[in-house]
Amino acid sequence: MKKNIVKYYPLIPVLAVYLIMFLIGFFMPGMWQMVALLAFYCALGQSWNIFMGMTGYVDFGYVTFIALGTYGMSLGITYFSQFEWLGMGIIVIGLILAMFLAALAALLEAAIALRLRGAYFAIACIGINEGLRYFIEGAKIWGGSEGLIFFGALTQSLGRETVNQLTTFWADFSVFVIAALAAFLNMHYMRSKIGYALTAVREDEDAAKVMGVNTTKYKTLAFLTSGLLGAAVGAMAWGLKLGHVYPGDVFVIHYTIECIVVVLLGGAGTLLGPVVGGLIYGLSKYWLAIIMPGFQLLIFAPIIIIIIVAFPEGVIGVLKQRVKRTALEKYIV
Amino acid sequence: MALLRLENVTKRFGGLIAVNNLSLEIQEGEAIGIVGPNGSGKTTLFNVISGVFFPEEGRVIYEGKDITRMPSYKRAPLGLGRTFQIPRPFGSASVRENVATGAMFGTLAGKVSVDDCLEIADRYIQLVGLEEHESKEALTLTPVEKKMMEIARALAMHPKLLLMDEAMAGMHPKDIDKTVAFLKKIKEEEGISIVAMVEHIMRAVVGFAERVMVIHQGKKLVDAPTKEALEDQRVVDVYFGHAAGEGNAKG
Repeated sequence: MKKNIVKYYPLIPVLAVYLIMFLIGFFMPGMWQMVALLAFYCALGQSWNIFMGMTGYVDFGYVTFIALGTYGMSLGITYFSQFEWLGMGIIVIGLILAMFLAALAALLEAAIALRLRGAYFAIACIGINEGLRYFIEGAKIWGGSEGLIFFGALTQSLGRETVNQLTTFWADFSVFVIAALAAFLNMHYMRSKIGYALTAVREDEDAAKVMGVNTTKYKTLAFLTSGLLGAAVGAMAWGLKLGHVYPGDVFVIHYTIECIVVVLLGGAGTLLGPVVGGLIYGLSKYWLAIIMPGFQLLIFAPIIIIIIVAFPEGVIGVLKQRVKRTALEKYIV
Repeated sequence: MALLRLENVTKRFGGLIAVNNLSLEIQEGEAIGIVGPNGSGKTTLFNVISGVFFPEEGRVIYEGKDITRMPSYKRAPLGLGRTFQIPRPFGSASVRENVATGAMFGTLAGKVSVDDCLEIADRYIQLVGLEEHESKEALTLTPVEKKMMEIARALAMHPKLLLMDEAMAGMHPKDIDKTVAFLKKIKEEEGISIVAMVEHIMRAVVGFAERVMVIHQGKKLVDAPTKEALEDQRVVDVYFGHAAGEGNAKG
């Protein structure tokens, strides 16, 4: 039994960072928005890393899931807020819809794109993302290019005070919960048969098959997990928090790139990596926008390049090597 | 009933016939050597048996069941294990994890926990003498160590039929003798059939195989007890290029 708990020790630093972030945001005035932004990046990095870090497949279309999550929440609130007796239930419905859309997309995408490898896989994912966006706009479903605006409906059904609390606190808080859940799932996968199967896939997919690994099954599982978590982040941090959704705002590849940067900065395939990456990325983006508004990206790009060149395995990837055979080893994964 | 039976199997790559109307039978607990010059279709034959390729014609019967078109990942749990000509370790994983992966998805799949598999791995790592390297990343091993690790990984699958694709190529003669001795022991203890594909290392064939199959241009040339097979004039011709009447044998 004790041995089993030791296996999960690497969760301690991850959860500790989330707790500290939360406490800073909660008790220090004016810090909540920044902490929420950081949690957003950490949660997305952690979710994206479950698939990419474990399988080595780079999903450039990841934002599809965040977008569909946002749409799920938006549709839930838009169409169910008229039933007043549902109360907070509309958020649950929104979340269920978000999960449903993301699962559907993940399974379809897995059936089509996961047959491809490397650059072909990346391009297929981008294609599906763009296709979905133009489909929604062109077919004029879910409000077409005008999107869905449901802040009013939400206020009407739940009351101004509640909505205020939901959008300024609970939406952000739930991102922390999703981030922690993602970390837990990632850890669990790493320590179970799933992790061994996915490592085999990442290192040599054909050899893995001959060794008896049902590669399609395990890849799909990781892809689905990663997608559902991303959708949950989208539902909360974009859908519920903002009260509106436009296809042109959410199906944007820029956010996928941000996930990639977060994960590569921290260390792909590591547990603590996306947290550290999310912090570095979020903090520098936030501060640079304050001290030199308009120029942040100009400064930001070289910083990222320098970090990636100095730590090609990511900050945690390097740290992991350093702490080998020390007491810290069992905490850093 | 034969453990594995190939019936008139043909595998083509475009115009090239890699395996040509080949039939063979392997009984439980046999030690068989497959020899043949480069390009004679040995690796393709292994790939057909392990499901990497499906043959165009013919059938593959394993334990009385037709597995001709069964995906490769379903064959390992039935007891088909193999090693690769060029070792294919899961590089970033440790030696221990590599071998444990074999145990996890082989015939024991679903019956053992991750911890059990790690323990099984320890046993086989010790058998092949890699215990010092247990926690090393597999990609840092030397080529021969990688081969030994692959053997351990395949054995950890608890296979009924183990296909070894030139597992001893590049090894020191002393290591070959050691490996042969150890494979014989394993074979007796665990009752697995071992088919080793050996190209030039007659030392290994003679030491290990009870029966030898000589393959030439995708066809079975000779299938006989070891000594008899290796003294066969046709085999000598194929290997040394004095192909009587044909004149196209390649060394």
